[in-house]
Amino acid sequence: MTLFAGHAKTLTRRALWPVFLGSFAVGTWMLLALLLQDVPGRALASLAAMGLATIGYTVGRWQARVNAAAIQRALVPLSTLDACGLASWTPELPGDVGAGWQPLALALQQRMLELTRRAETLEMQRAAAEVRLRRLAAQRDQLDEILAGLGDPVLAVDAFGQIVLANPSARKLLGLPAATDSPLALERIERCETLVGMLSEASRRRVPAQRTAELALTDEEGRTHWYRLCCRPLAFSQEGGQAAEREGPHGAVAVLTDITGQKAIQKRNAEFVSAVSHEMKTPLSSIRAYAELLVEGEADDAATREEFLQVIHSQAERLQRLIDNLLNLARIEAGVVAVNKAPLSLNDLLAEAVSVMQPPAEQKQIALTSDLSPLYLGVLGDRDMLLQAAINLISNAVKYTPAGGQVTVRSRLSDEEVVLEVQDTGVGLSPEDCQRVFEKFYRVKKDRDMAPGTGLGLALVKHIVEDVHGGRIEVSSQLGQGSIFRIFLPGLRQLGG
Amino acid sequence: MRSPCILLCDDELHILRAAQFKFQRAGYEVLTASDGEEAWAILQTRRPDLVITDCQMPRLSGLGLVARIRQCPATADLPVIMLSAKGFELSAEQLHQRYGIAHLVAKPFSPRELLALAEEMLQPQPPAAAAGCSGPASEHAPATG
Repeated sequence: MTLFAGHAKTLTRRALWPVFLGSFAVGTWMLLALLLQDVPGRALASLAAMGLATIGYTVGRWQARVNAAAIQRALVPLSTLDACGLASWTPELPGDVGAGWQPLALALQQRMLELTRRAETLEMQRAAAEVRLRRLAAQRDQLDEILAGLGDPVLAVDAFGQIVLANPSARKLLGLPAATDSPLALERIERCETLVGMLSEASRRRVPAQRTAELALTDEEGRTHWYRLCCRPLAFSQEGGQAAEREGPHGAVAVLTDITGQKAIQKRNAEFVSAVSHEMKTPLSSIRAYAELLVEGEADDAATREEFLQVIHSQAERLQRLIDNLLNLARIEAGVVAVNKAPLSLNDLLAEAVSVMQPPAEQKQIALTSDLSPLYLGVLGDRDMLLQAAINLISNAVKYTPAGGQVTVRSRLSDEEVVLEVQDTGVGLSPEDCQRVFEKFYRVKKDRDMAPGTGLGLALVKHIVEDVHGGRIEVSSQLGQGSIFRIFLPGLRQLGG
Repeated sequence: MRSPCILLCDDELHILRAAQFKFQRAGYEVLTASDGEEAWAILQTRRPDLVITDCQMPRLSGLGLVARIRQCPATADLPVIMLSAKGFELSAEQLHQRYGIAHLVAKPFSPRELLALAEEMLQPQPPAAAAGCSGPASEHAPATG
């Protein structure tokens, strides 16, 4: 304040100097006129005084303008320079004015420098905030897009039970209207009481524990889907691995994951385990029963003992085939099967397969015959695998042919391929079953009680023929008439048999 | 004093043969069938003291056979033992309540234990005067036969 008072004093003194000078002249003139007692002289003196005063005022005002303009010119850079410019700025004030105004200009310079630096800091903070805001907006858009693209329904409610977020999947599943500005009450969801109950409960809970449930919901097309519902409160954050409460419950979020496929796989796996278990228990039952009869000395004569031992042997082989089927299918599918290909005779292989399957066919009173080509049908193949494929086809034919029926095994040459054919007079397959009969685990519904099975045998045959040997398999069938399964394999060479 | 008569029904002929062998050596008369239809046909002409049947069979399953047995007044009270390789899928309690099946025996089974179970079930019954299985049950044969 003292500094500014001093500067004001200087300014006044400089600008009013002509006024003081004029007033002094007028006073002097009037004093002389009074001394002279001259009336016209007094009048003249008055006029002269007024004139001098006017001149003095005008000169003073002009001087003040000149000084103000000089000061203004000198201070203009203060409003345009940046912090660096201000720091190096030196006021250029006119000589006699500059001396008085220099401290004020320097004080202004300091203040302006300070303000400029503060403004620059604020600008940087504003820019950073804007960047953060844009980033947050981009993240929000990204999250909205992700949520919209999620197949899993996601639903969030606030502490008052108002739906604050529902992605399109959730809206579609729960029959909610499209996004509106006005929030929806959770109770608007009528399709799923479990979801409403769990969300309401979670939005009031003070423990950040996630709760899950499995529930079935029917979609708009009337199909039932199974969902795993995960529900958790929203008011808690995980910091340093420990739950830290912020301000109490803010709401809750629910995510519904469609587990219909998993459920189907679980059911299929359970059915498969049951079928495999049944398949294994059947030969095991015979082995146990006959072994017990032998151990307990029930078989009195050698012929009976021989008969029982033969049954045990054949049933052990049956069990072995089942286990081989399971393991080979798993190995082929996992790509870890060891294939040992060598030239072999298809006819020899088929003869062996027929001899293996003859006892079960006879047991079921089915005539199993072979009609093999007189030619040598050479194949480059894995003997064990192709034998297993042939046995599986014959076993399948025997299974689904009623007692008194016929199963015929044929071989022939067709162009560059050798053909293996198994024909039966069994129950036959519908066109739809023909399409699906090579699928893993697939079993014809109407024939399930006719014979036990795992639905693996034909799937394994297809894998062995197509994936391991580069051949192909096809089936032609008529319901109630029987079926023909044909395997086509690349021929190695054909020699006269 | 007649021998008790058992009807054995299983599509696995080896199992049928083993059980038949065991029961015959124990002095039972044994009738055999390889599926439910065949067993039902036998029941139209013969009245065994006990039916032992497999569950999963072609043409007519074990449960289908028992359902027919229970629906027919002539066979409704026939005691039944069910053999099954499925085991865990069938509850013995449910089978008893819904089908009146006395026992569920899981495969693989012991012929000795099966015989002991059959003897236990047949023990309270007084021996019949005539030998062999009793006469035809077709007097009250159902239309579904």
